[in-house]
Amino acid sequence: MTTEKDIYYTKDIPVPETPPPGEEPAPWKRTRIIGKRVPRVDGYERVSGTAVYPSDVILPNMIHGAILRCPHPHAMVKKVDISKAEKMPGVRAVITGDSPEADLMWPYSGEVRTKLFDPHCRFEGETVAAVAADTPYQAWDAVRAIKVSYDVKKHLVDETEALTSEVSIHEGGNKVGVQTHHRGDVEKGFAAADAVVAASYRSACEIHTPIELHGCVANWDGGALTLWESTQGVYSVQSGVAEVLGMPLSKVRVIGHYMGGAFGSKLQAGKYTIIAALLARKTARPVKLFLSREETYLAVGNRPPANMTLKAGVKKDGTLTALDFTCTGASGAYPAGGTALVDWLIRDLYACPNVRTECTDVYINAGPARPFRAPGHPQASWALEQMMDALAEKIGMDPVAIRLKNVPDISQGRDRPYTTTGLRECIAKGAEAFGWETARKAAEEHNRNGGPIKRGVGMGSCVWFVGGGGPPSTVVIKLFSDGSVNLNMGASDIGTGTKTVMALVAAEELGVKPEVIQIENADTGTTQYATPSGGSKTVPTEAPTVRNAAIAVKQELLKMAARELDAEVSDLRFDADDILSSKDSSQKVNIKDLSELKKRGVVMGVGYRGPNPENKSVNPFAAQFCEVEVNTHTGEVEILRFLGTNESGRVMDRLTFDCQVLGGITMGIGFGMTEWRALDHGQTGKMLNKNWHDYKLPTALDVPMDMTSVPIEMPDPEANNTGAKGLGEPVTIPTAGAIANAVYHATGIRMTDTPINPITLNRKFAEKEG
Amino acid sequence: MLPNFAYSRPRKLTDAVAHLADAKNGRVHAGGTDLIGCLRDGIFKADTLVSISGLTDLHGIEETGDGGLRIGALATITQVADHPLVKERYAGLAQGASEVASPQLRNQGTIGGNLCQKPRCWYYRGEFHCLRKGGGACFAAEGDNTFHCLFGSDDVCHITHPSDTAPNLAALNATVHITGPEGKRTVAADAFHMPPSVDVQAETVLRPGEIVTAVTLPPPPKGLRSSYRKVRARRSWDFALAGVALALQFDGDTVRNGRVFLSGAAPVPWRSQPVEKAIIGKKLDDATIKKAAKASVEGAMPLAKNGYKIGLFQGAVAEELTKIAAG
Ligand SMILES: Cc1cc2nc3c(=O)[nH]c(=O)nc-3n(C[C@H](O)[C@H](O)[C@H](O)COP(=O)(O)OP(=O)(O)OC[C@H]3O[C@@H](n4cnc5c(N)ncnc54)[C@H](O)[C@@H]3O)c2cc1C
Ligand code: SF4
Repeated sequence: MTTEKDIYYTKDIPVPETPPPGEEPAPWKRTRIIGKRVPRVDGYERVSGTAVYPSDVILPNMIHGAILRCPHPHAMVKKVDISKAEKMPGVRAVITGDSPEADLMWPYSGEVRTKLFDPHCRFEGETVAAVAADTPYQAWDAVRAIKVSYDVKKHLVDETEALTSEVSIHEGGNKVGVQTHHRGDVEKGFAAADAVVAASYRSACEIHTPIELHGCVANWDGGALTLWESTQGVYSVQSGVAEVLGMPLSKVRVIGHYMGGAFGSKLQAGKYTIIAALLARKTARPVKLFLSREETYLAVGNRPPANMTLKAGVKKDGTLTALDFTCTGASGAYPAGGTALVDWLIRDLYACPNVRTECTDVYINAGPARPFRAPGHPQASWALEQMMDALAEKIGMDPVAIRLKNVPDISQGRDRPYTTTGLRECIAKGAEAFGWETARKAAEEHNRNGGPIKRGVGMGSCVWFVGGGGPPSTVVIKLFSDGSVNLNMGASDIGTGTKTVMALVAAEELGVKPEVIQIENADTGTTQYATPSGGSKTVPTEAPTVRNAAIAVKQELLKMAARELDAEVSDLRFDADDILSSKDSSQKVNIKDLSELKKRGVVMGVGYRGPNPENKSVNPFAAQFCEVEVNTHTGEVEILRFLGTNESGRVMDRLTFDCQVLGGITMGIGFGMTEWRALDHGQTGKMLNKNWHDYKLPTALDVPMDMTSVPIEMPDPEANNTGAKGLGEPVTIPTAGAIANAVYHATGIRMTDTPINPITLNRKFAEKEG
Repeated sequence: MLPNFAYSRPRKLTDAVAHLADAKNGRVHAGGTDLIGCLRDGIFKADTLVSISGLTDLHGIEETGDGGLRIGALATITQVADHPLVKERYAGLAQGASEVASPQLRNQGTIGGNLCQKPRCWYYRGEFHCLRKGGGACFAAEGDNTFHCLFGSDDVCHITHPSDTAPNLAALNATVHITGPEGKRTVAADAFHMPPSVDVQAETVLRPGEIVTAVTLPPPPKGLRSSYRKVRARRSWDFALAGVALALQFDGDTVRNGRVFLSGAAPVPWRSQPVEKAIIGKKLDDATIKKAAKASVEGAMPLAKNGYKIGLFQGAVAEELTKIAAG
């Protein structure tokens, strides 16, 4: 759970380095373009609709796939009758668990593999059969015409009943695992406390539902397979598909130049990828297979529900003495990190010598979890930030002050220093920019007038588990004879602006304009190896690699210039795209005028991502502040404003930076106020809200007009040679807890369970009235 | 994906009625915002769709000879919400229309379709063969009934009627105009929707082949103030958890007469006579409002998960009465 090995990172591998170790380029002292507000390099293509996303791909003779899924949360497939479906118009292939070509094993996790069409369906939405037909409608009609007889089994969908239920989802019971952490002596810590508070919290299951649906187009050319897949990582899909189909990596090409969003559910190949490839092979046609919105709700993953208890001790001066945390979370039907990282904030965020955590991950008959933007963190933040406020109140301290009192010197979770930490600045400067004290007082003043509309102000802060990136990554930069640049990297731009940031890095280092940079990315056939874009690691992984590649290009150019000017390389330096001699200022050549470059046509530089600093932890930090109005007649909550401070090292592009902050807050509002998975507990166990209407994402009106991003810029010289840390995840961690604290400030009601909406608030009002 | 159906787009109302009446499972297609989703999800059968968009008489909003208003069935929700006469004389209806769904849906959806739309119970819209779809049981009764009704289920079906325009039309004494195989008829807006105890599979009193052609509103009585307040789980693109439509005639500060309908409360727009009783003949002072708010949930039969509506209705009614009293 808190080991550092996961799909984003490959730790402790020897990696080639450019420049060689010991010759790391110095951090940029002054930047020309990094840190400015630069619009997306592909903004026009994305907005005008000319960008071809995987779901836009149309190939000659292409047909369409669709998947039949189990409608029950727990059932055994007894018989699949495809006789009618096979004869329907346009149908070209039907595959089931009995089809020899589908006799493959699917790796649900490292330990658990099942047949691709396993007769034991452990969740609603498990795959049972698939069809390829000339049109998507024919494919869907055929799917509906397949007759399946199921032996419906008793199901279990409530994770709090998992350990006592008679239903056993896997042999050996419903416990996936228990993870614990101890440091110090918690009992002694409580004994030393002046005040102790204990509470239970729950955050509801949040479902992945990115705009572009999950899926791909699969095409075979002899023994080679090409996939246009909506993915966060083309190389990860490549290796997953090669493994399941038993193919050499070289024969699986995955392309994902553009993709329509993902927050962890597109880090790997899906079963749909394999199914599309099988259907394409069987029909000898390209097959497009994109899931329906309903299928994504059932099968592509979620942020698992978290049932948490937290007991905390504090001294009168605000010093934390002990934290005791438990959590029961649900992996779903297969091991999938149901409590992954859910105790990290407890272990790392605030200074505390005595900490105990125990996280129990269980199986339920529901779709498996997946990493979801800052896995585990918003859940724990929901509990911890509310607890910090409760402690502050108990000892009569200000919420900002108690957090500042407990800013740790080192990463306690890892017992080593952070390279840099801006936690204190995030909290203090954020409070100042927000006008914390004035706003708190004004709200309290307002509430004394006795009207039904109550105002409240709340905050929260966070660290994110990782965010330093790391090897491996390789980037190739080609500089053409006219000074224009081609940047070749494997990383996907999942909407965060990766391409834009990398263009800025190359432009900064090479002294060229970003407009002359063309980026080729996310294609295993033509671009370099990269790990998936996730874990807030894409900038700190790829940006230094791009810089290294640019430096390699510059080293080549310097050698050319030395020959041309008859000078020593060591006497030459760059000034934007000019090379000049430090000894003789008349000795100067523009790179476009280098005759050797003109003849060769191109200079190529290869950059590799070097290792991270040893024995230090690279982490980004954040704090958020908000003001709300609660209508105590109706339970409606209006968020008046939000302010987010983020310390992510250097600000690379101020526009993409702010976009992340505002987007993260928006997603946090969904987590805290509008989203929850409804399962038909006690009856069918089926999901009740598997559509965009009943599963409520925040709309424009749920998000305040007044949202501010305040970067706390602290370039981190040790993290990597660009000084940038990750940003994409910390931006969403403290939002929900900050809202809950503001609602408490307004009403005196602790919303211990997500979501906060008129339904749940009216329940609390009723409880309060007795 | 969709069932096979015949499709026609007649120019004459009589043809439309004839096509519908001839079909086994004929459906009117107006804006299609609700219909297409239902067909895609297989909620009901359809072998014939009759588009009414070619029936020019069904468009438009205009003042009637008696000083009332006629709203053609094909008027879009946006047109209703934005029409100056609606806003001026029947503010509650304009507010109700403007609170429907989202801008796109309001531009495409029609008032006729809004009155005839299918319920939003997530069992009904899901793969559950419940009573309303001809099955044997109501899944909401013992299931997740967070969004279900407090009143009028008759222990049969616990939907809430989804329309935001219907409670306002009912409160404003509107009339629904219908043409069918047997000719024309009118039904009061407050009698247009079907209680589950009478027919659990129908939402309206329309008979096979019948089409709503218009709704008319009587001239606004003297001292009329109308308003609509809707509370939902998120702030847009969502149905009412609780709503209150008021159409009150004031004489100075005193409520002379009035009608109060609740949305999000019952399988049909729910007339709240207890609230009416609490306010008619009274000044809307704090004590009266408090009583009226309490009265709004008189006789409520909360289910396991919708008890929150008890407090919510009281809050919404109190707030709206306070507001309307202020003018
Ligand atoms: C996501 C979503 C959210 C929504 N939120 C709200 C909301 O908050 N509040 C609200 O009030 N509504 C809401 N709606 C419903 C929306 O207002 C209706 O879908 C719309 O008004 C229907 O109008 P239409 O013209 O598109 O009807 P259609 O979809 O064409 O028809 C709807 C039904 O009425 C029948 N019908 C249509 N016109 C006539 C007629 N003239 N005579 C007889 N039968 C007819 C059709 O056969 C069909 O069964 C929502 C809908 C969606 C999809
Ligand atoms: S409330 Fe009505 S529509 Fe919903 S499940 Fe029950 S019978 Fe069906």
